[in-house]
Amino acid sequence: MSSFHLQIVTPDGLFYDGQAESLNLRAAQGGLTILPRHTNFVTTVGMGPAKVVLDGNARTAACIGGMLSVINGEVRLIATTFEWAEDIDRERAKSALERAEAKLADASLSKEEHRLAESAKRRAQVRLSIPQA
Amino acid sequence: MAGLSTKAIKTRIKSMQSTRQITKAMELVAASKLRSAQAKAISSRPYFQTLYAAMDEIADTNNDFTSPYLHANPNGKPAYVVIAGDRGLAGGYNNNILKLAYSQMEEGAAVLPIGKKAVEYFKRKNVTVITESYAEAASVSIGDCYTIAKMLADGFLDGSFGKLTLGYTNFVSMLSQTPSTLDLLPLRVSTEKRPSQNTILYEPGSEAVFNAIVPEYLGGVLYGALCESTASEQAARRTAMDSATKNADEIIDDLNLRYNRARQGAITQEITEIVAGAEQS
Repeated sequence: MSSFHLQIVTPDGLFYDGQAESLNLRAAQGGLTILPRHTNFVTTVGMGPAKVVLDGNARTAACIGGMLSVINGEVRLIATTFEWAEDIDRERAKSALERAEAKLADASLSKEEHRLAESAKRRAQVRLSIPQA
Repeated sequence: MAGLSTKAIKTRIKSMQSTRQITKAMELVAASKLRSAQAKAISSRPYFQTLYAAMDEIADTNNDFTSPYLHANPNGKPAYVVIAGDRGLAGGYNNNILKLAYSQMEEGAAVLPIGKKAVEYFKRKNVTVITESYAEAASVSIGDCYTIAKMLADGFLDGSFGKLTLGYTNFVSMLSQTPSTLDLLPLRVSTEKRPSQNTILYEPGSEAVFNAIVPEYLGGVLYGALCESTASEQAARRTAMDSATKNADEIIDDLNLRYNRARQGAITQEITEIVAGAEQS
């Protein structure tokens, strides 16, 4: 099957550098899949699961924020956070979710604090939604 | 110094030894900090490079020029982010980057210094300082980088900054660090004419994508530059302290030699005096 060159990086390092048959992720406007010979394309990345398929094997990950660019067949996923399913610290995500929920229950939050707690909650939910590898 | 008494030489050896102890300790501290800083710089490098390469390709392929990030603001101040260290005694590290950044600065520029030395330097030069909240380079986190990036991007959009340049030190190797500057905003635009089938598809739209990507890009580049600079600082300090320790060793050896000579001279003199006294009686 034809494939394309995919690079996945975050500030923590390089997570994937090699060929892939498809890349599925949650962009700002909804889910999308990149297949070989995709047109030049740039979008922002939302929060959600990402799936990389190579030789029929799929690897899932939690992917949060950043950008995706497809330029002349080179696919680059530059994420703020990217964790493979097996690397996700579920205990930490659970406690983060509880903390965020407790914080959101507090009515005296400022708008900014509310926004931060809300996105912390979303991040934890995304991490927990990835099936264990 | 040949005429110094043994006591004076002894005092100098003592003071030299305590200096050597300090430089040796600083070298060891820098070496251990360097290890973690280097690991951080190396692991952030793919991000830095990929991000830069992606933006470069977008600039090369883009032919949608509606985004304000692609145009310089003629009325805005040129803004600079300069990353230096918090402490001195790091060889030429602070001086090199600060001098380079200052020499490239235009009239009326505003600067956002990161690191105590940078804050002090630009205040002394009477350059407008945007904020001093990032005076301690060691405590700037990745979150802070994104906050700075957001602030600068907003400033660029509302026209208060005309362009944005970053000054940092590139960590080439343990022994070599080069100060350099990087133009961040406006984004580079290729002037080459391209066939229209190569257009990039932006989703949801070029304006929205650029607005979301640019602060992210700035934050990423800033973080990468910060990692590089921190590693450079520790490497520069380690080298400087290593040579200071070596110098101290040399001086101590030299002083020891002088001390022994002086001591021997004194003994010889004493013997001569005793012998001379014995002969006379």
